[in-house]
Amino acid sequence: MSRRKGKTSVLTALIIFVGLVSCTNQPQQSFRIGAIPDQNPEKLNRQYKLLCAELSRELKVPVRYKPVTNYPAAVSAFRTGSLDLVWFGGLTGVQARLQKPGAKVIAQRDIDANFRSVFIANTTSGLKQINNINGLQVLNNRRFTFGSESSTSGRLMPQYFLHQAGVKLSDFNGNQPGFSGSHDATIALVQSGSFEAGALNERVWISAIKNGRADPKKVKVIWRSPPYADYHWLAQPNLDQRFGSGFTDRLQSALLGWSDQSSTQGKILELFGARRFIPASIKQYSKIEKVGRDLGKIQ
Amino acid sequence: MNRISLTPPILSLLPALALVPVLAVVVTSVHVGGLQLLFEFFGAAIQPSLDPTVVKSAWRGLQITVATALISWIISTLLGILLGIASASVVWQTCIGKSWPAFLIRRILTIPRAIHELLWGLLLLQLLGLSPWVAILAIIIPYTTLVARVFSDQLDTQDRRALNALLQAGAMPFPALITALGPPIVPILMSYGGYRLECSLRGATLLGVFGLGGIGTDLQLSLQSLAFKEMWTALWMLAAVMLTLEQSINWLRRRQRANETTTNQILITFALMILLMSLGLPWLKGLEIDLSSSISWNPIPWPTLAELIGALNHLQWLKLISSTILLTLLASGIAIGTPPLAMMLWPSRLGIEVQSLIWALLRLIPPPLSLLLLLLSCQPSIAVAAIALGAYNLGVMGRLLKEGLEEQGNSCWKALQASGAGARSSWLYGCLSAQSPSYLAYAAYRTDVILRETVVVGLVGGTGLGWQLIESLGSFNWAQVILLLIVFATITLIGESLSDYTRHRWLRSTQKPALVLDLQS
Repeated sequence: MSRRKGKTSVLTALIIFVGLVSCTNQPQQSFRIGAIPDQNPEKLNRQYKLLCAELSRELKVPVRYKPVTNYPAAVSAFRTGSLDLVWFGGLTGVQARLQKPGAKVIAQRDIDANFRSVFIANTTSGLKQINNINGLQVLNNRRFTFGSESSTSGRLMPQYFLHQAGVKLSDFNGNQPGFSGSHDATIALVQSGSFEAGALNERVWISAIKNGRADPKKVKVIWRSPPYADYHWLAQPNLDQRFGSGFTDRLQSALLGWSDQSSTQGKILELFGARRFIPASIKQYSKIEKVGRDLGKIQ
Repeated sequence: MNRISLTPPILSLLPALALVPVLAVVVTSVHVGGLQLLFEFFGAAIQPSLDPTVVKSAWRGLQITVATALISWIISTLLGILLGIASASVVWQTCIGKSWPAFLIRRILTIPRAIHELLWGLLLLQLLGLSPWVAILAIIIPYTTLVARVFSDQLDTQDRRALNALLQAGAMPFPALITALGPPIVPILMSYGGYRLECSLRGATLLGVFGLGGIGTDLQLSLQSLAFKEMWTALWMLAAVMLTLEQSINWLRRRQRANETTTNQILITFALMILLMSLGLPWLKGLEIDLSSSISWNPIPWPTLAELIGALNHLQWLKLISSTILLTLLASGIAIGTPPLAMMLWPSRLGIEVQSLIWALLRLIPPPLSLLLLLLSCQPSIAVAAIALGAYNLGVMGRLLKEGLEEQGNSCWKALQASGAGARSSWLYGCLSAQSPSYLAYAAYRTDVILRETVVVGLVGGTGLGWQLIESLGSFNWAQVILLLIVFATITLIGESLSDYTRHRWLRSTQKPALVLDLQS
């Protein structure tokens, strides 16, 4: 029974394969995906097979996951056409789209349309709750850390809000901020007291409080930023030529159709920390682009 | 009469003075806030994660790293030997009677060497996309030129009397070179070549830590989410491989030295390399990494003059350069001065064994990881970055010193002890004394390496040219990247010439030409 099923799927795959080859006139290619995850990166890296199998099942093409964990590396991989679909952060997505004109924003998570950063402080630092953006001036001459240098929620937007409040990077203690490398590291370093304050992705903060990694007695939120659009799936402009017409649309509806009703899809969504994926548009990211240009992260 | 003069053994202890300001800064900023996490980290060492998915992923990563290291080691060693011969003045002088081509080739080769393998990796990625060749080429380019430099240095410092005698007797230049220089150079080459494998392995791991695949990537991901148990799974596996490689190379070398003629040694080694190479390629292919896939060339837009001038004005060069140099000096001081100091303070057999275990551990932990661990209990400063970078290289220097001392034997030490000198001073003048000129020569090489490696800790420390370079790469600001690379290469070249100068001075002050495995990574 299962063997016959296997044969059938092999046959189907072969037919699709031949079909694809004949209509694209190119050797059969795999659909290559990559991701810069914000949460559970190590788990995603290990369980990418789930994601590949699910996409492959729905799109009827072989799907390969290529691990790229470095932000600029992922952008370059997209520019050079080494990846067909990438899960980017806000800033890296804009960088990649500008370097690859015509790239398509496919989807974002339900939580990405109104994403926020939080500023946290060690409880012994004496830093108090901030009520409006100008209150960020209390961070002058404090030891302050961002996360990874290309992170939207851990660096770009926090730096933008600090800038609005009139705090320059050289105003921090030591004349420069730290760059902890990740959101979890930011929590650990602020909680330890090595840095008095830091900024990070709100989702990571919430899950750190939930799983006990952040100790409310030692570290607290002092400011929650206004919302902005963050992570999204970005696809190459030429997918329809390479994988058959309508491929981009099929890809989009596949991602948008995932729900936690299916156990596989539910597991994937859980890895991404989302309930579902929703449509996204380029317009949502125009603010990120402007901020990126103002702060020199986009040329 | 009791004045301590600046003899070599004292000089090799002097760099340890860097510990004074570094420790002063660190001790005043140390705190206990991160203790719990540090306990967690070290506790996780005895109970690494054995979750099958974690182990499987780390195992796959380890294979990629080892295969990458093997392939790039073999190619860079073989190419390096050829280029080394081409840049040795003794070769040119013998063959055409002039040595300027050697000088020219050597200067050209300094440029690829001045850039750290991590930077090569990030730059090649921009140009080649996600090709498996990126990691391999990133190691091959700087390592080939490193091997070439060391090999040509060795050729040029050999005793030339035999060569001259052969030439005067009418031998053809090339056979004369092989006959006269071959036998003394082969053992050096063998031990140095073996050492390069460990360097390649560490290089390949570090590339992974910055996202270029392999076990380093597993390390980086578990570092990002502070999953210490999973991190130790990868660290222990890496330790096992490093130890096995080191032991098998030592075993092979001892066996060969005892049983085989020089020609056979060379033949066996070449055969082994070719065998490993022919295993490495299908091995990577089995891991879904196909080196035969075509490489695409994706040029980056060349910046305009206006952009270059803008970048020149935008960056704070003085601050960037001075903090980079300060970091290099402090880290070098720690790396160079600590091993002899520690061995002097605790010279017993047990002491040395404990120390060499610690050094192995220090070589194992990549600097970004040790920096994060340090930052959990100290406030951020250049001193902390210097310790992280210094500790990694201290592991290498300690190993070198121990190996050198073992080869040298301990008769002088015993004699001094028997004459009633104290344990420490007899170690200092009996053991370290004979070893210190070549130790200082390695130290000069190491300082070059540390300068290049500042790029690795810049990321967390937020200081210096290295950090700025990675930041500019992340902003795709090519004007800044190009200027920073030029500055970086210039400082490296100045540093290299300075260390060349000091090294030559030290070598001249010793009796015999340094029969050293000139080690650098």
